[in-house]
Amino acid sequence: MTDSQNELSPEHQVEAARKAFEQEFERFARFTPRDLEAAVAEERALAELRTRHLGKKSALAATKKLIGRVAPDQRAAFGQLVQATEAAFVQSLDQAEQSLKDYIQNERTARESIDVTLPGRRPRFGHRHPITLLRERLEDVFVALGYAIEDDREIETDFYNFDALNIPQNHPARAWQDTFYTTDGFALRSQTSTVQIHAMQRRGVPVRMIAPGRVFRRDTPDPTHNPMFFQVEGLCVDRGITMAHLKGTVAEFLRRLFGADTVTRFRPSYFPFTEPSAEFDFSCFKCKGTGCRICKNSGWIELGGSGMVHPNVLRAVDVDPQQYSGFAFGFGIDRMTALMYELDDIRLLFENDVRFLEKFE
Amino acid sequence: MFISYSWLFQLTHTNLSAPEVKERLTMVGLAIDAVEGHGDDAVLDVEVPSNRPDCLSHVGIAREVTVIDNGRLYLPPSEFIETDGRSADLTSVEIKDPDLCPRYAARLVRGVKIGPSPDWLAKRLETIGQRPINNVADITNYVLHELGQPLHAFDFAKLGGRRIVVRRATPGEKLKTLDGVERTLTGDMLVIADAEKAVALAGIMGGEESEISAQTTDVLIESAYFDPNSVRQTARQLGMDTEASRRFERGADCEGLLRAQQRCVELICELAGGVATEDAIDVYPQPLSERTVDLRPERVTELTSLTVEPAEIVRILTGLGFEQKEQAAGRLSFKVPSWRIDVEQEEDLVEEVARHTGYDKIGSELPPSNSSGEYQPTEMKQRSLRRALNAFGFDEAISLSFIQQDARFELIPSLSGHENDQPQLANPIIEDAAWMRSTLLPGLLDSLRHNFNHGIRDVRLFEIGRIFSIFKTGELPQETLALGLVATGGAIEEGRAQSERELDFFDLKGALEAAVDWMNLGPLTFAQTSARHLRAGQSALIESGDGTSIGTIGRLAESVAASYKFRQPVYVVELDLGALLSGPAKLIQYSPLPRYPSVTRDISLLVDRQVALDEIFAAVNNQQVADCRSVKLVGTFEGGNIPHGKRSVTLRLEYRSDERTLRDEEVEEYHSRLTARLLDTFGAQQR
Repeated sequence: MTDSQNELSPEHQVEAARKAFEQEFERFARFTPRDLEAAVAEERALAELRTRHLGKKSALAATKKLIGRVAPDQRAAFGQLVQATEAAFVQSLDQAEQSLKDYIQNERTARESIDVTLPGRRPRFGHRHPITLLRERLEDVFVALGYAIEDDREIETDFYNFDALNIPQNHPARAWQDTFYTTDGFALRSQTSTVQIHAMQRRGVPVRMIAPGRVFRRDTPDPTHNPMFFQVEGLCVDRGITMAHLKGTVAEFLRRLFGADTVTRFRPSYFPFTEPSAEFDFSCFKCKGTGCRICKNSGWIELGGSGMVHPNVLRAVDVDPQQYSGFAFGFGIDRMTALMYELDDIRLLFENDVRFLEKFE
Repeated sequence: MFISYSWLFQLTHTNLSAPEVKERLTMVGLAIDAVEGHGDDAVLDVEVPSNRPDCLSHVGIAREVTVIDNGRLYLPPSEFIETDGRSADLTSVEIKDPDLCPRYAARLVRGVKIGPSPDWLAKRLETIGQRPINNVADITNYVLHELGQPLHAFDFAKLGGRRIVVRRATPGEKLKTLDGVERTLTGDMLVIADAEKAVALAGIMGGEESEISAQTTDVLIESAYFDPNSVRQTARQLGMDTEASRRFERGADCEGLLRAQQRCVELICELAGGVATEDAIDVYPQPLSERTVDLRPERVTELTSLTVEPAEIVRILTGLGFEQKEQAAGRLSFKVPSWRIDVEQEEDLVEEVARHTGYDKIGSELPPSNSSGEYQPTEMKQRSLRRALNAFGFDEAISLSFIQQDARFELIPSLSGHENDQPQLANPIIEDAAWMRSTLLPGLLDSLRHNFNHGIRDVRLFEIGRIFSIFKTGELPQETLALGLVATGGAIEEGRAQSERELDFFDLKGALEAAVDWMNLGPLTFAQTSARHLRAGQSALIESGDGTSIGTIGRLAESVAASYKFRQPVYVVELDLGALLSGPAKLIQYSPLPRYPSVTRDISLLVDRQVALDEIFAAVNNQQVADCRSVKLVGTFEGGNIPHGKRSVTLRLEYRSDERTLRDEEVEEYHSRLTARLLDTFGAQQR
């Protein structure tokens, strides 16, 4: 205990502690932080101030021990004075601390804010080829209808490409103008109908299958032709199969692809491997039959060929046409892709331009 | 085939308007795209199927129309003409090659006056797009479009020896055809000759020398049947396509040619004057036999589900020219008209009945199902493969299967040794693409170049497709399902202009490994290798889970890159996808989760650069330290203070027991033992 303290009354000592606090605190009360760093330093200084004026060794704490020197009737009042002073300190400090804390938090939040419109961290995904997209969709539809997916060779003997399909020896399709041949005399398959034959040989009948795949025809590339394209062939052979089943099946898969309101139309036609033969059209998916660019204002889109499997084709695989009948149909996947996406030039399909491939998935 | 509506009306008296005819003919299989007005007439452009040459005529189309609207055919009536003399007394016909000309009829009209055709005739020809020339030529053309039989008129005076010889050309024989082109013929082309020389290309075009001219007075009218194949081949070889050849090559009406000739002669006598001979010289050594086809009405139902009354069947077929023969029990029997070369069996008649009953009358129902659908055995794996490669940024490419012959690329192992066995096309259509591909890489690299040329430098592509190789001369080529990948440029992210880093070998390897993993196949292994198209030191042989070599991966060799003018590194993969897909599946086996904690220790080894990580891993695994559970790479480092020829490899080893928590001393013992062995094995130093 110093002399000076001894000289002051306890009340005065409390008063002195208060004054000392207020003097030191004054700059905190007026303080407006310059920036985050200054505020953090100030927060630290404020904590020190709190320890100095409210800690066990503080002047105010020391006054509590002076209660003995206070006249007994004044002791309660003194006690209240000390407590009130202490409460005032705490309140001032808390207030200052809270505003510093608020400032710091606001400042930190502001600094750490992000531009949520920056691009997400998203690796560039690749894309399936549009022909694959459609092929997979077709396969899904036909597997659901109970069909097996089949495929076979792309380079074929005349037997599979022509003979077994009842294409006569002198048919123009066999000519060099139309079909590619290797120097060994094999044909690049000109339709996936070849797979009908392989499938019936492998599986026997009844059979239900579709064969999507590459085919080749000697067309000079132009906006509507490629010497290679993709086709789907469908075949269903069983006892009692009729053209009504052909119509029902084609109508069903076109509804599944183009919507429940799709209408299908069959027109008589000629193909060597079917008899009777039919071409099928469906109501334009774009204009719903009122006429537009895609359907050339006819309301109909011509899609493919079909018919009842020719008895000679069944005989070629040792199936008795009096016991079994079947239907077959085929159409171009490329053509359907071109229609669905309104491609103006199907050569784009095999250029593999990334800007093109990105558009479909 | 252009059809004049007024001409058609004359033959049918049809109740249908031109637009109705268009609609109805389309629905019986004669597709008509458009009806064009032409003065007071209308022209229908009919797409005639290749098996219906009889419909390449107004009468043929008329027959269909009469069945559609239940009418009858009004054929042009036969006119009385003055005749004089017998053809055989004036000329002769000799068929030297009856295999190519089964029938030839010649008849003369003498004293004609050549001049322009009357207006009605000229107008009719013009309506259907034909140019009038002179009365006789126009009449032959008119009859062709009316009845479908091509005819030819010779200037009789110009025929050497006044006779006709039908024979194969002598090799190198010359003939100037009506179009003014001098043609050199081969020994398999059929010509009409006189006593000395060829005067017409049989079934295709007449010769200029015997052409009808203003001075012509006597004409010889040819009406014949030529072998379709012969006409087709000759026309193709000479690059010709005429009204006549188009009909002969599909098949003309061998029994109808005299009637057409008669019609022609009558019109000439009427419009150009002249007197016809009494008869034709008709050389027809082996007349065709009559064809009869039976039809059971229930067969129509079996194939089409339509029920058509026998009377209606008879109406349709007789309307089309079939003649009903005596009826046997349960079946109708029909004589096939000679012009219906397409009808051979019962099903052909079913089609006739069905198309004239109307395909729209046929119901529509799914067949009863007795089977469950199935994909190709590897389809789901291939779908996973595509999805995985997509996820790693690869776009799917599809390239043409034909390429130029290319020796720059080493083939995948299953085709190795067959570099010179690429199947070649006998009749390619694209220049520089005369070979079936035996590698996918040229197609993918061409695509890469295409993208570079359009300013796109960050490209990742894959292709799944067949490649071809001849394993045994004369046998069908081997078809192998292959997978190819190319990657170049930066590891791009969506929405960013520039990538943060360039792709390298390990991006490609990682994508491939992940794809194999997604397919649930056993892991691949990679071993340093050399391949012609890959840069030395950055190329690896790929082995599938069962150790089969299936392909290669690496950076494209400088020489190949330079030939494409690529200025940035390109990484490529090609492998035998069929072999990969048939490899062992990934082993999936559950083991209980660890109950005790594991301890990891890192170790950095300074080893020779040549020591492969796989060797180090193998060495760790060989030690068989009981509680060493895994070894993983932390990283490799070279350069800096690492001596030349060395590199630092940092591994993380995991130790764990299934029985208890390992004590530090135990781990320390395992780890130092392992470390010592590794240092010893590789002559390495610890860093």
